[in-house]
Amino acid sequence: MEYISPEGLRLDGRRPMEMRQLHAELGVIAKADGSATFEMGNTKVVAAVYGPREVQNRSQQLQEQALVRCEYSMATFSTGERRKRGKGDRRSTEISLVIRQTMESAILTHLLPRSQIDIFVQVLQADGGTRSACINAAALALADAGIPMRDLVASCAAGFLNNTPLLDLNYTEDSGGGPDVTVGVFPKLDKISLLQMDSKLPIDLFEKVLELATEGAKATAEYMRERLSENTRQLVSARGLLRF
Amino acid sequence: MVGLSAAERVYIEDGIAQDLRLDGRGRQHFRSLSIQTGVIPQANGSARVRLAGTDVIASVKAELGSPQPGRPGCGNMFISVECSPTAAPEFEGKGGEDTNLELAKALQRNFLGGASGAGAAIDLTTLIVIEGKVCWELYIDGLVLSSDGNILDALSIAVKAALSNTGIPKVQVMGGLSLEEADFELSDNPEEFSHLDTAQVPVTVTISKVGRYHIVDATAEEESQVSSAVSVAVNSKGLICGLTKSGTAGLDPSILMDMISVGKRVGLKTISSVETDIAAAERTLEAE
Amino acid sequence: MGGVRTFPFHMSEEEQRRFAKAQERLDRLGGALPVVNVGETIQADEEAAFLRGHGTQLVDGKLVATVCGIVERVNKLISVRPLRARYNPGTGDVVVGRITEVVAPKRWKVDVNSKQDAQLMLSAVNLPGGLQRRRTADDELNMRNFFEERDLISAEVQAVHQDGSIHLHTRSLKYGKLEKGQLTQVAPYLVKRLNHHFYQLKQFGLEIIFACNGYIWISGPSEIPDKKGASSELLVNVSNVNEMHQCTGNKESTVPTEKREKICRCANALRVLNALGLLIYPESIIDTYEASLMWGTDIKDMLSGEFHVKVLEREVSKRSKSV
Repeated sequence: MEYISPEGLRLDGRRPMEMRQLHAELGVIAKADGSATFEMGNTKVVAAVYGPREVQNRSQQLQEQALVRCEYSMATFSTGERRKRGKGDRRSTEISLVIRQTMESAILTHLLPRSQIDIFVQVLQADGGTRSACINAAALALADAGIPMRDLVASCAAGFLNNTPLLDLNYTEDSGGGPDVTVGVFPKLDKISLLQMDSKLPIDLFEKVLELATEGAKATAEYMRERLSENTRQLVSARGLLRF
Repeated sequence: MVGLSAAERVYIEDGIAQDLRLDGRGRQHFRSLSIQTGVIPQANGSARVRLAGTDVIASVKAELGSPQPGRPGCGNMFISVECSPTAAPEFEGKGGEDTNLELAKALQRNFLGGASGAGAAIDLTTLIVIEGKVCWELYIDGLVLSSDGNILDALSIAVKAALSNTGIPKVQVMGGLSLEEADFELSDNPEEFSHLDTAQVPVTVTISKVGRYHIVDATAEEESQVSSAVSVAVNSKGLICGLTKSGTAGLDPSILMDMISVGKRVGLKTISSVETDIAAAERTLEAE
Repeated sequence: MGGVRTFPFHMSEEEQRRFAKAQERLDRLGGALPVVNVGETIQADEEAAFLRGHGTQLVDGKLVATVCGIVERVNKLISVRPLRARYNPGTGDVVVGRITEVVAPKRWKVDVNSKQDAQLMLSAVNLPGGLQRRRTADDELNMRNFFEERDLISAEVQAVHQDGSIHLHTRSLKYGKLEKGQLTQVAPYLVKRLNHHFYQLKQFGLEIIFACNGYIWISGPSEIPDKKGASSELLVNVSNVNEMHQCTGNKESTVPTEKREKICRCANALRVLNALGLLIYPESIIDTYEASLMWGTDIKDMLSGEFHVKVLEREVSKRSKSV
């Protein structure tokens, strides 16, 4: 299959190093402490954060830090082929774990001892890069909830098809049998917090693809920072600067 | 929800008796509603309904299948519901299973009609491709993203809007007469999609009994006070398409009839404004 | 849809335009704001020594924000106040909480919208007849005679310990179980710090507890007669522990419609201020309440998009004048 045309255009008209359109919104779930939607092209997810709050199951309480929990769900209609997804299938469990670990490394958990933070991510549309969209939505939701973090986390994926590194794969490209490298970065600290790869890739090519994914993650971080900034300004303008 | 104190319960019940609820509404007032259609592009039809803090999505996917034995002239409809944990931590893991089932059952009762296929919200005979062999199957999925009470009514409105938004591709059957033998060519052109006749699709109104009075469109707080409720599905002709009683308290038959008639009255009003909103949403979608 | 935030009310296209315009004007009136976001560096004079406060961390010798919010500088202390976070308790704060657990023999756990549930010790509650701390088999039953699960109470933060645990007390006649009123939840960062948190809105005949944790309680004036020797503090409709048994009479009478309407209009005014992110204090509530009367808005219609837009526009014109 041809993923890149002779003119160098991908199936959806993008260039190899071009990301899809990003869109984020905050405060979408009124009852949650923090929430956000994140869109990367046709991939759309919602994240809601409940907490920090009293630990619900005493036996899980941690004396020195917050308990971070995460559940990832995909809507039945989120994929092109409607598939009834039971909860607790292997892929969902794995992604829940990945999101939890990534966010936990960002949250300053020792500042919130004996509390619980629940992160719920719901996929509405899955068109590749779901993992990344979930991490980005979760990071924004945590910021919306005022939970202290050492840095934002931003994520993006890249692959390699038709001999070309491709940034931000959509579902069709993702299904192309090539490798898929997902990276999560702490933009300010300039560190990588998550790195995952499917399939095989020789080391030198891996470095190229990793670099591309990292660039994409940093660009995503910039967009997220802009949105957060707009949000913070809006909230502060409304309230005013009166001392707390 | 931890629940409300005895004092708050008394306050809510007394307010309802005085026709003044916590947010200023009367017993028969619905909160304001907003409908968006076409929100799930990969589905054949979809809609998102926001009823104050309650936020739900319904999607319709059409797939080719075979008619059920005993009703060779009818297509099929399936409804399932999922409550996302984003709506409440209680829905995490298997926590939402009971609620999902209950909601799906109530919707099925209102939309699917009888075992013969008669009385369904959509004329199922219009879904036939090859009589007795091939038909369209509509999979309706509801997702609850956020909740502030009255999920069922919001879902029923979302389903109605999603069905109105649904486009069924034109099918060309080649080389055979059954699902296994034939080849099906589906048109990609949205202009060639046919729309469903949704004139008979009902809307559900849940009437909840609190003390000696009943209210429509209960908030989450009010729902914790409800002893029993009746959900009535009403279509634009004022016909009742489905009934579900919930709650543990028994209902006096005369009170039940009273609640049903309130449901019908409010239902007619609601369905007319819902149909207007759906039409407006579809126009907005087209303009985009 | 251009807005970065979803608002919990529905607006028509026209209303959305007006809303966006009002927001823009608010933003311009605000001018330069000392705000910062997660991961951003906070301006700090490298040479001068500074003290690192809440919401900050040191990264390579630079001060970096850990939350999105307002930068506060008090002498050398630089901190960032987050906005929509859970309640951050301080000693002396007046709070409204909901009993979540009765932990016999000596304490209750109370939800105060914070990172942990607060503790209310039996010893921190006014008990009738003075000190009776003897632990008997009836202790658990006795505790529920004072406060049981799901009860709403007003209390004061006695102390916040190192491990984050919050201790409350109700050692004053003004604190105790709440009834004959309505609870409205708002974001804690919008509740202005006042000198008195029990407030009387005489013009409406209402009493409000401006709880620092955002659980705002509105009720009609207290029916409990002024006790001899009681403090001049306002008594809210409190079924106080001391008066538990005398109050059973009051429990039968219901809040009349006229009073209820006022409580409801006030609660809706609160909800609107909260939804718009405007500061909540007696004047802003009175103003929104009176505006609704002036515009002839029905109580339930205060939750409409139109009313929200009008309130925001009103706020914009208020601020423009004071500039």
